[in-house]
Amino acid sequence: MILASHGLIGSSIVQIDADWLAYYNRVIAAGGTLTTTEQNATKQLVADLKANSLWTPMKAIYPMVGASAAACAQNLKSSSFTGTFTATGWTFASTGATPNGTSAYMQTNFIPSVDIASASSNHISFYSRTNQSVATNCEMGAFDTSTGTPIVMLAIKSNSSGSDRYELRHFCLNGNIGPTPPLDTRGFACNTKISSGAVKGFWNNSLIGSAIVVDALTNKEIYIGGRNSNGTANTFSPKQCAFASIGDGLTDTQASNFYTAVQAFQTTLNRQIAP
Amino acid sequence: MLGYILTNQQANEVQGVFINPYCFINCVQDINDVWFFFGNEQDKETFKDSEYMWLFDLPQGEYIPKPSPFPYETN
Repeated sequence: MILASHGLIGSSIVQIDADWLAYYNRVIAAGGTLTTTEQNATKQLVADLKANSLWTPMKAIYPMVGASAAACAQNLKSSSFTGTFTATGWTFASTGATPNGTSAYMQTNFIPSVDIASASSNHISFYSRTNQSVATNCEMGAFDTSTGTPIVMLAIKSNSSGSDRYELRHFCLNGNIGPTPPLDTRGFACNTKISSGAVKGFWNNSLIGSAIVVDALTNKEIYIGGRNSNGTANTFSPKQCAFASIGDGLTDTQASNFYTAVQAFQTTLNRQIAP
Repeated sequence: MLGYILTNQQANEVQGVFINPYCFINCVQDINDVWFFFGNEQDKETFKDSEYMWLFDLPQGEYIPKPSPFPYETN
């Protein structure tokens, strides 16, 4: 056997996930780097997502590793939806990507009306490592003021209704909805819809609230670090992003498994937030 | 917060311009619609090979943000 004759033992050859390898090659091709720990963490994340039937529902996954714009711009899931960052206002570190809350945001090139298969099945998520008391920011979102106000927003603490709340305006027509926000804004937020009109918000693996909405998909690109308001970024967030995702809707079980996988990922990188 | 002040012409010239494949320039308007650019010493490293280092030589001023669209969004 050729491999044996060259000193390679079959059992020592490690199968590397092709999707992870493609991601890693994108990071390298972009001029980025990943530490061994980051490589292992992202490899395991891919494995965990696949083992829990979560890989297919994901369309854009931003692990925020590599401590550079080039690396953090890469979508773990595919070569689509590669991000771009404002050239200033971001700080990239091993703990994630931190916007300045004034002018910095990330473009995802993800347009819900084009890239989301169903207005009644979708999710977005954001892992925050910043505790912020002010409630005027949006961690990610898009807002269309011109055609019946379709909106998607993930804001751990906003005051868009005049009182502080966790935003549940999730791929819907506008409406003032959302539960009382968490006291500490560090953690993993995941908003999901798997049937028409019914949004659930999960905060650190607990259901923080739910709402009935009118399904709608905005034709505006989703921004991270702020909200896209008809092509202009505003409501800039200063929260450090250690992970973000966009994709199909997740069941309660899938949302829980998703939290477990993402939390294990963060723990490997020693940047986890205890629930 | 201090920022670099641009004229409308300067802002139109640089807004959205990519200085590398993954980074673009973003300026914001303050409460008086004056354009501001924000950059620090670390950001200069990103710009050093571009033609836009002059942004860091602009006069600086105090930036007062526009009011948040919350809570009285009409849409």
